[in-house]
Formats: sequence, structure tokens, C-alpha cells
Amino acid sequence: MSDDWAVRAEGLGKRYGSTWALRDCTLQIPTGTVTALVGPNGAGKTTLLHLVIGLARETTGSVEVFGLSPRDDAHAVLPRLGFVAQDHPLYRSLTVADTMTLGRKLNPRWDEQIARERVERLGLRRDQKVGRLSGGQQAQVALTLALAKRPELLVLDEPVASLDPLARREFLNGVLEAVAEGGMTVILSSHIVSELERVCDHLVTLAGSRTQLAGPIEEIVGSHRVLIGPRSDAASVARIHDVIRESHTERQTTLLVRANGHVYDSGWEQHEVDLEEIVLAYLGYTPGAGAVAAPSSAAVAR
Amino acid sequence: MIWVAWRLQRTETLIAAGILALLAALLIPTGISMGNTYHADHIGACLAAAKGTSCSMRMSEFESEFQTVRLLANWFTLIPGLIGVLVAAPFILDLEHGTYRLAWTQSITRGRWLLGKLSLPILAALVSSGALILLFTWWRAPLANIDGRLDIGTYDTEGIVVIGYTLFALGLAVALGAVWRRSAVSLTVAFVGYFAMRVFVDYWLRNRLVSPLHATWKGVGDPHFLYHATIISESAVINGHHINGGGGGVIGGHSQMAAPGLGVASVFHAVYQPASDFWPLQFRELGLFTGIAAVMILFAAWWTQRQGA
Repeated sequence: MSDDWAVRAEGLGKRYGSTWALRDCTLQIPTGTVTALVGPNGAGKTTLLHLVIGLARETTGSVEVFGLSPRDDAHAVLPRLGFVAQDHPLYRSLTVADTMTLGRKLNPRWDEQIARERVERLGLRRDQKVGRLSGGQQAQVALTLALAKRPELLVLDEPVASLDPLARREFLNGVLEAVAEGGMTVILSSHIVSELERVCDHLVTLAGSRTQLAGPIEEIVGSHRVLIGPRSDAASVARIHDVIRESHTERQTTLLVRANGHVYDSGWEQHEVDLEEIVLAYLGYTPGAGAVAAPSSAAVAR
Repeated sequence: MIWVAWRLQRTETLIAAGILALLAALLIPTGISMGNTYHADHIGACLAAAKGTSCSMRMSEFESEFQTVRLLANWFTLIPGLIGVLVAAPFILDLEHGTYRLAWTQSITRGRWLLGKLSLPILAALVSSGALILLFTWWRAPLANIDGRLDIGTYDTEGIVVIGYTLFALGLAVALGAVWRRSAVSLTVAFVGYFAMRVFVDYWLRNRLVSPLHATWKGVGDPHFLYHATIISESAVINGHHINGGGGGVIGGHSQMAAPGLGVASVFHAVYQPASDFWPLQFRELGLFTGIAAVMILFAAWWTQRQGA
């Protein structure tokens, strides 16, 4: 059922020369969600997004957008996509008005009203050169260009990384407003987790070029717990729950677990945990190899 | 796409137009003054009457009067290269600044973007080289009548080769730019490459593009078939002595070896390109430059199209 998934990737990999930028990535992004794609720099986020919008062609595996190949069916997929690239490149010598004309000329589904309203609301002079605008304003112009295409899938590559906190907030508000009108799927990559929770309802992590954590943010937050107890082996807990991270001091052991069901063991003190901490734990987590031990215990093990 | 491509090409096109306007501002007054002197001195009539054999005084007077602009005109052969790399700039800038990622994620496909992005500079190159040819041909008319159209300064700026030169510079620039994605270095190297190619063709290949003719004759003065020819090499046997001369254009009717005072018994031999080789040479050279340009432009399109990101 391609209608349920805006994006589906299976065993997706991309190699540039001899280095793999992305490897064996399998994920589904449900239609109508706002998904955060989180991972450290160099994890392959940009590569994955480029594969999704057809800027790059996959080396292995497959990727589908609305059931179509973004590269081979570009003529059908492109009109349904909105994309703001990292550092939101724009033609700096064009004025704001010219940039909007460019959007109108290149997109049959262009919505002039959206473009006009957004430019007005941003308080931009139409005859101003884009290159003279602040970073935040440029990002907003790039977003306007993407939104006026009336995209069904909006892809934002690190849209706020280069912005100051105020501009960051305003940009994300712009995304939220567009989402509120309904029907649009959004993928937003970031290496900053804060602020994402306000905007996104789904999350996918990408580290070591592999996806690890994927799903609705509520479920993710709901299923993870921090367990604190006297210093002990985590093996008993790991039999039932997935231990994402463990750390030990002389007297106590702290575990971050993905709970499969309730944690009944009264020997552990339970705490809720916020999204940022969960994500950070996952980014240092290698599936199959078990939990990454804290440096002190790793030294002991050797 | 046409509007977009034009809007992004506008600055460079205006600069190219500015170069042409500047050139016209220089050439039109000097061209008028050259034409007036040419007619006032009856050089044309003299050349027509005697195939130039008795006009040498007037011609050298004329040439020395316009020495400065003639020397300046030698530099004009760089202008097609300058315009060619200039109009290639927007294509490379798009790759350098990453704005191609913006363009390729609008609703048009990469193929259409490439078509618009490359056909406009080609058109600009064709129009500017056409304008250059008209301007130079009009301006050089008196000099061409005196020196012949195979004269390097005339040959390089008239006929049709200028079109090939401009396209070659454009093609080299976009090919390098597609690979390097750096406009400054691509344009500079393309211009240097243009210059190198021109030197190679002007001083080596052109003499071999059309097989030259051989002639042997006796007597003083050059025979009529050398009129406006380019002599590739020349030798003479004068009073039993063998003398080798270099090549060069035959100015009016006088080669450098046909000096007065040589005996009638002297025997001359020359390898030369006759004036009638002008068009065969032009067509072959245009074909060569345009062919290379086409390959490079297609390469740039293919390379950019297949880029992963």
C-alpha cells in the first residue's frame, strides 16, 4: 500500500567512490507525519535525503516516494516535492520578487497566493536582493519557494543548523503553520534534538549510516526508562528489556532501557527520560554489540 | 525555464554586449577614417588596376598611418575567447554555489534544466560572434584588400572561424566547470586553453589543413598566383647561391625575397596557400573548433546529469 507511506527505503545504500555515505538503510515514513531525521554529522542524513528527492541515485537497495522512483520518475515526483537544501542555496543576485517568479516559472502547481502572503508576512521588500538578506530571511525565502509548490512531501535538510535561536524558532513556526493546513508529510534532518519535539511527531535516528530508532515520538518517549539501582550486572534486565546504555559508578548502576512491557523489578528506581537523552544514547549505540559500556568499565574489561 | 535561464544569464550577456559596444566605439571611428584615407589615396583603384605591383608606396604609407590600430587589432583575436568563457560563467556558478540543488528540485527535470542552461550561452556565443564578424569585416576591409584575407589578423577575425573560436572557449569552460565546479579557475584555465589552442592552430595546424601548393618560377617580382597568398616556405637560387627564406604573407604583390636588383636568371621556389584557400580553410577550421566544442558541451551535460549529488 504505497498510499500509507510517503517514503519507503529498503536496503538503501549510496557509495561515493570507495566510501559508503549510507549503507543498508531501511525505513518507512508514514504519510502525513512530521519526521525528524536525527544523527551526528557525517551519518548520511544528507545522502539519504538526496536519495529521497532524486538528487542522487542509489548504489544499492531502493527508495520510493509515493510509490514512485524519485530519480526515474522525476517528472512525476518533482512537482509533489518541496526541498530546502542545507544552507538553503538561493540565487543571490535575484531579488525576492525574481526568486518567486523563478518558482512560478518552474512549477506548474505554484501557488502565488502562498508566496505573496509569506513574503508579506516576513516583511521582505520584493525588490531586495536575496544575497543581502540575513541568514534567517534567506532560509525563509527558501522555505517559501518550497511551500508555494504546494508539496505533498516537504524535505528540509538541516534547515536551522546555521540560524540563530530566534530565526530558528521563526523558521520552525513557518513549517508548523504549513503543516497545520494539513495533508503534508515533512522530513526534517537535524543534528540538534532540542526544538524538534515541538515540531515533529516521528523520529528516525541515523548513526553509523544505519537507522536504529524509528517511530512516533510519543511511543519512543513512552517506552524508554532510566533505571537506577545498586551497582550490579545489567544482564538480568537485558533478558527482558533492550539496554541502550549503561553506566556505573562505585555504588550504583544507571541503565537506559527500551522497556518491553512494564519493569517490575523493585530493585530499580525508574525515571522518565526526555527525547534528547534517548537520541543521544542511541547515537552511541551499536545494535548487536549490546550496550556501549561507559569508558571506565570498558577499561576494566580489558 | 527560458525566463529563468535568461534571468540568470543576464549579467554576463550584458557584459558581453558591453565589450562589443566598447569595441564598436573604438572601431567605428577608426574604421571610417581608414576607409576615407583608402579612398582618398585611390589604393583600391591602384590594386585593381595592377594587382598591387605598383602601389607599394601608397600601401606602406597607408599602413604606417594606421600602424597603431593595426597592432591593437592583433589583440582582438582574444575577444572570442573572452566572450566564450564569460557566457559560460552562469552554468558553472550554479554548480559552484550549490543552487543547482534548488533548480533540480523544482518541477522541471535535470535534462530540461541542462538544455536551457546550455542553449542560452550557446545562443549568446553565436550572436556575439556574428556581431564580431560583421564589425571586424567592415573595419578591416581596406587592410584586407591590401594584405589579403589569409593575413593572420584578417583571417582570424573574418569569415566564420570566429563562431568556432567562441564556441570552443565556451565548451572548454563548461566542461572544466562541470568537473571542477569552481568558476574562477575553470574560466581562467579555459581562457588559457583557448589561447594555447589558437596558437597551435594559427602557427602549425593551419598550414596543414589544406595541402599547400608548390610553384617554381624565374624572374623578378612575384607571379600573380602569389597575390594575397600565404607563403609557407620559399627558396631561391640566385647566381648559383641557394637562399632559403621563411614564410609569410605576400603583402600586395611583393614577397620578402623579390627584392630589386636580383638577376633575371634567379630561380624561385615557393610552398604556399593561395588566396582561394580562404574558404576551404575557414570551413575546416570552423568544423574543427565547433566539433571539439560540441563534444565538450555534451560532456559537460552528461557529466552534470550523472552526478550523484
